[in-house]
Amino acid sequence: MIAIAGPNLPIDLLAATGRFEGALAFDPDRATPRASGWLESKFAPWARPLLESWAEGAYDDLEHVLFSRADDTSQRLYYYICELQRRGQLGGPQPLILDVCKIPRDTSRRRTVAKLRELADQLGVGASALGEAIARTNENRRSSTDGRDIPVCLLAGTPPPDRRLHAVIEAAGFASAGSTLTQEWLDPGPSVDGDNGDPFAALGEQLHARPRGPRSFADAESVLARSLQTTQASAAILWRIEEDEAQCWHLPAEREALEATGIPALVMTRRDWLANDGAREEIAAFLEGVTR
Amino acid sequence: MSQSVNQRSRKTLACTSEATAFQKAFGKELKRRVVDEAEPYAIVQADTPHELFHAMDIPIITNQWWSAYISAKQLSGRYFDAMVKKGFPANSCKYCSLGLACTLADEPETAPWGGLPTPTVLVARLTCDCIQHVFGLWAKELGSEFYPMEAPAWEHKEVDWFAHSKDAWDRVYQPDRIEQMVSEMEDLIALLEERTGRKFDPARLERLMERINEQEGYIWEAARAIGEARPCPVSIAEQMPNTMIPQWHRGSDWAVAHAKKFRDEVFERIEKGLGASRNERLRLMWIGAGVWHDPGFYQALEEKLGAVFVWSMYMPFAGPAYIRDLKGEPMEALASRVASMNEVLHLPPWMNGWMTSEAERCGIDAAVILLPPDNRLSQSGTNLTALSLEEAGVPVLRIDADMVDADNWDHNRMVGMVDSFLHEKGLA
Repeated sequence: MIAIAGPNLPIDLLAATGRFEGALAFDPDRATPRASGWLESKFAPWARPLLESWAEGAYDDLEHVLFSRADDTSQRLYYYICELQRRGQLGGPQPLILDVCKIPRDTSRRRTVAKLRELADQLGVGASALGEAIARTNENRRSSTDGRDIPVCLLAGTPPPDRRLHAVIEAAGFASAGSTLTQEWLDPGPSVDGDNGDPFAALGEQLHARPRGPRSFADAESVLARSLQTTQASAAILWRIEEDEAQCWHLPAEREALEATGIPALVMTRRDWLANDGAREEIAAFLEGVTR
Repeated sequence: MSQSVNQRSRKTLACTSEATAFQKAFGKELKRRVVDEAEPYAIVQADTPHELFHAMDIPIITNQWWSAYISAKQLSGRYFDAMVKKGFPANSCKYCSLGLACTLADEPETAPWGGLPTPTVLVARLTCDCIQHVFGLWAKELGSEFYPMEAPAWEHKEVDWFAHSKDAWDRVYQPDRIEQMVSEMEDLIALLEERTGRKFDPARLERLMERINEQEGYIWEAARAIGEARPCPVSIAEQMPNTMIPQWHRGSDWAVAHAKKFRDEVFERIEKGLGASRNERLRLMWIGAGVWHDPGFYQALEEKLGAVFVWSMYMPFAGPAYIRDLKGEPMEALASRVASMNEVLHLPPWMNGWMTSEAERCGIDAAVILLPPDNRLSQSGTNLTALSLEEAGVPVLRIDADMVDADNWDHNRMVGMVDSFLHEKGLA
């Protein structure tokens, strides 16, 4: 079995293995005594509970865990886990990394495709199996849009650990939009070109070009504006945590994008990932004042 | 706000003042070329292929050097405040973003050189999530173009990479990573040729690479001698400028000659039994970037405790990170140097493997690690390195501070922490 620990990964390919178990599960609120001794403070906060669970043997039934170079914590954690295993301080599955390159340049696109082929070889996935998996996943992509009959509030920014903030939004009478961390990792991204004769190239190019995530070269404010549009949001919360060191650079532009829409928006920065800092109450108070 | 006394470091080598004088003159020359003459130039990260620019005679301003320059003028707090006022978060990575902060502040009256003019290009390797955003914004603000370079995943892991980096670089640094970097360097050369009208000459690069090998060979010889010598002939406050200043000009006649002169002066001091301190009793290792705004920190405990910082990464890094057998492939050799310069200093197993080996080579009694609170990249690898060092019998003190943020650095408190740590460990 294989699981993932990071975003921008080839869900279609993993589905084609027939051994995909999804995203690594962990309790975000758990104590992390060992992991905190190994990881420094600026790791994204999901890394510590995940590593603590790994050290306890929670993932011992897996063969592989796939990390992503499209996210700094994911790729850095890969090296730490490899080293801890080398030193005999950690057991568990074999860590793998997919070298997803995001620079909008041909050399980066080609490398992503080449590395995807290598991963497929390693996992025993051939072209026809991948082609079939792409067709199935494309079908899921098409059917995943849902209609809502109540106003929508978009939760953008850092993916929260679970639905704790979504629940506050829903309790205020809004439908919530925006991914949790696990949903972000399992997001297969936009449709893959099923007519491309080379499914590895088609999927690799999609991975390279996907607009979301910390290493994306897409315009962050445009991505936010598009999300507002596609979800038809009538309120927005831009929530970023203390450890977010990438997308936070676009905060001024994102504020402008929010103001330009005229949608009521709450911007929350440098927040606690576990939302133990009064975020729930602030969100509830904000939505209380939004006309539905 | 804490107070920093910004103590000056004591210098004992003639070549130290020569290096700083050269750099000062170079700063003026660079300003003349970039600001007064409006020559095409580039803003680059330290871990990018400077050699290409040198070979094409295109001036470069290194982000880290520019940050240190701003920091040394005590302007970092002012510009970070200005950046926050423009809506950027106060917890942003400070080491990478001070140059951007200076540009965003838009204060020609306070900025060094009145601020930077528009460069031809900005170049950075994507070694973290942050840098592409900083350089992208900076390029936009300066009306220029950002040329990012990948930092590809490194699956081939050799813990003793430093023992093979000179002659087996094609294996150690992973062939497909080298190939990727070569392709990107070729694209960068094409961009530079098009934008500047200057031509790239492969023979000139090869000659430059040979000269860099010679230069770094002198530094590496001196580093090995310092590791063996008792007492340590030169403190890290002098090792740093004599390594780094020539390294900014690597392969130039001055840089090669200066490296040789420095080596000779180190040898001479060893021969005469001269030490950086008169009573060396403890040999300390400094892990992290230099605290540019308080160089006197490193020598503060020499007199009181005989505690001498004998090791920082800059000087011993010259050997394994720079010297390459060219094998008739200078571009590939250069790619192997650039493709891992940051990784070996910040990722396991390379970082801890090398630093533990260096601690043993240099007879280190204790190590002090800098942990900048808002910089994942600079923090990276430090905990596992500390554990490796402790397993090897080297006590480690971790200091939470930023190397360019003078506002959060208190000289007396930091010196006091090292003092207490050495006493607690029974070393002083």
